[in-house]
Amino acid sequence: MTRNLLKGFAASAAAALLATTALANPYEKYDGTTIVVSWPSLAHFNAAETLVEEFTEETGIEVEIDALQYLKLRDRQILEMSKPEGDYDVVSWVVMWKGEYVSKGLLTPLSQFYTSGSLVDPLYDIDDIADAYLQNGGVVGGKKGYMPGASGALYGIPFGAETSILAYRKDVFEEQGIAVPETYDELTAAMTKLHEAGIPALTSRGKTGHQVTAAWLFHLAPMGGKIFDDEWNPVVNSPEAVKAAEFMRHVAKTGPVGIQTFGFGEASAAFLQGDAAMHLDTLKIAAMSRNPKLSKIDGNVGYALHPTDKRCGSETGGFALGIPDNAPNKEAAFLFIQYMTSKAGDQRMVELGGDPIRISTLKNNADQYPDYAVTAEQLPCADPDWRPLIPEWNEINIDVLGQALTQVITTDDPIQPIMDEANEKLRAIMEREGYYTWAEYRAQQ
Amino acid sequence: MTDIPAHGTPTALKRPRDLSALVPYFFILPAVAIMLAGLVYPVIQAFYLSFYDWKIGTDFQDAPYVGLRHFTRMLTDENVWESIWVTLRFGFWTISIEMFLGVSLALLLEKPIRGASVFRTIFILPLMVSPVVVGLIWRYLFDARIGWINYYLGLIGIEPQVWLGDADLAFFAIVFTDIWQWTPFIFIIVIAGLQALPSEVLEASKIDGANWWQHILFVKLPMIRSILMIALLMRLIDVFRALEVMYILTGGGPGRSTELLSLHIYNRAFDTQQLGYASAISVLLIVIVTLLSLGILRMGNPMKDKSDI
Repeated sequence: MTRNLLKGFAASAAAALLATTALANPYEKYDGTTIVVSWPSLAHFNAAETLVEEFTEETGIEVEIDALQYLKLRDRQILEMSKPEGDYDVVSWVVMWKGEYVSKGLLTPLSQFYTSGSLVDPLYDIDDIADAYLQNGGVVGGKKGYMPGASGALYGIPFGAETSILAYRKDVFEEQGIAVPETYDELTAAMTKLHEAGIPALTSRGKTGHQVTAAWLFHLAPMGGKIFDDEWNPVVNSPEAVKAAEFMRHVAKTGPVGIQTFGFGEASAAFLQGDAAMHLDTLKIAAMSRNPKLSKIDGNVGYALHPTDKRCGSETGGFALGIPDNAPNKEAAFLFIQYMTSKAGDQRMVELGGDPIRISTLKNNADQYPDYAVTAEQLPCADPDWRPLIPEWNEINIDVLGQALTQVITTDDPIQPIMDEANEKLRAIMEREGYYTWAEYRAQQ
Repeated sequence: MTDIPAHGTPTALKRPRDLSALVPYFFILPAVAIMLAGLVYPVIQAFYLSFYDWKIGTDFQDAPYVGLRHFTRMLTDENVWESIWVTLRFGFWTISIEMFLGVSLALLLEKPIRGASVFRTIFILPLMVSPVVVGLIWRYLFDARIGWINYYLGLIGIEPQVWLGDADLAFFAIVFTDIWQWTPFIFIIVIAGLQALPSEVLEASKIDGANWWQHILFVKLPMIRSILMIALLMRLIDVFRALEVMYILTGGGPGRSTELLSLHIYNRAFDTQQLGYASAISVLLIVIVTLLSLGILRMGNPMKDKSDI
């Protein structure tokens, strides 16, 4: 009998041990689950595919990736997320879409996962993620609905996020005796000097619509301009905004031929192929310039802070990962996002040629990658309000500013009237969408 | 007792003849059903949608009814009229040149000259390429920095041109690309028509002393008139449907200089998410195409002589 008791005890102990072992693996419950991820076909995400394979190997969660050209993502994602049950478990959005996604109730707030002890890795350390990236990519609510603030809620984690830095050709600058520009005045002078020497100066996006607007916005923030004042009155005809537009015209006249047709791919290719001396856009250019498949200029590229004018100000953009409200496998999706953006995941992304989102990763790798030190110094200047991420932004961005700025860079028409007209069109959109209802109501009191 | 009509045939015996009269309708029923499901229903839906302000991603039941607001807005929207004007200019240049080149090539290559079949095959190659690929090919050819066109112009000392970044050059580029792609369509239709002409008539005109020009202008072209009208009609409809090539080549830019009406509708619907408004403009597009098509059919309806077959 004693033997039987001992056997029973041993069996119970073994079962308990097995159960304990099973519980010790937070991924086991989701072993064999397949999640579908929608993200862009861009260098950072292409590099991430290796990390995705490692995630599957470690967790047993299968991942199907639906990669699309980044400006095509939004239509596809909205259609999927509008269905009663969608196909996507994880979506990666360009930060300017987050307001629209949340206003349409398409995303799951991440707070519900952060209260689950079995899901959250205690070593994740969300505070290590660059605050500008987290606020810009993941937080919705707060001041103006897209700015940081007490009423903000977390919907996404940045992945492939970015700010802007200046990349320049060290060899060309040395040859021409040009100092690295720290201000816009110095930058303008350098562009003129390079142009006079027959060297295309600063490459830039310039294609009608989103691209030309994005390029102008890069300069608007440091010049002290904004799209709206605090009461949603458009101010794109302010002296600062007009100055940024004048700078864009100078860029088009002194830069590589064809800027008027450049999206990000063409603009960066001009720099990477040696057809432009400077690139003032996303920091992603650094990883691209190190890639021998893309770049002919590796080893000749220097990095500097985004030049200042009235203030220091750089973009906050790129992508974030979140979970659709109609996702079939939300918890597995959360584990995936957590894995990809963890400290180890971030470090692995650096090794794979991607861009980090964590301050610790930037600091730990600064010796190897000089652009990381510049990025860490630039991040405090990253302006989360450099463009208004309101649901109407796409119409403003593409239909109004994207047209006006094309006129700026393709003609010699006076700039002030162009921007005055754009300002009126913006006001009409805001009026139509009811942004002045409260002001009108108060005026009647 | 059976009730026999005066002519002596029982009523029941008429049924097989009545049913046989329905047979043609039975045969066209699937086509009609497909037309209704695939063509008429979406058009009705587009018309219905044009009365609502609906954005993708929101529940349609929550979309506010706006009555005729989209239509009144459309009539005063300078961007809509600009895109109509771009489309009409585009249609005028492309159709005129394509008709001229297509007919000319067909007349040149209809004779059994040496290598004619090789030429014919080469000429119709662009027609076989997907519009998306056509857009990509020409986008890279016209590229200001790495395009072959600027490269070869550079060899003869011409400065590089920003083909797709200048309003006039971009318009030229889309017209040129369309001509490259669609001239073979005219060519293939016309050559088929020319080869089906009765040889007796052609020989008779030669015997009567018609020279080469008279032979073409007063015999051949009048005899293929109905084919030319069909080609014209199809190209006209295509011009208003053209989207993919322009979307990839220029995206409608710079500015709105190459934004055809179809591209304008697409941009409204998907870039700015104004589906109701885009539907209203689609209704306008249908009206314009219908009116122009009716105009062409009044000039010479190719089906007229066959309507009583």
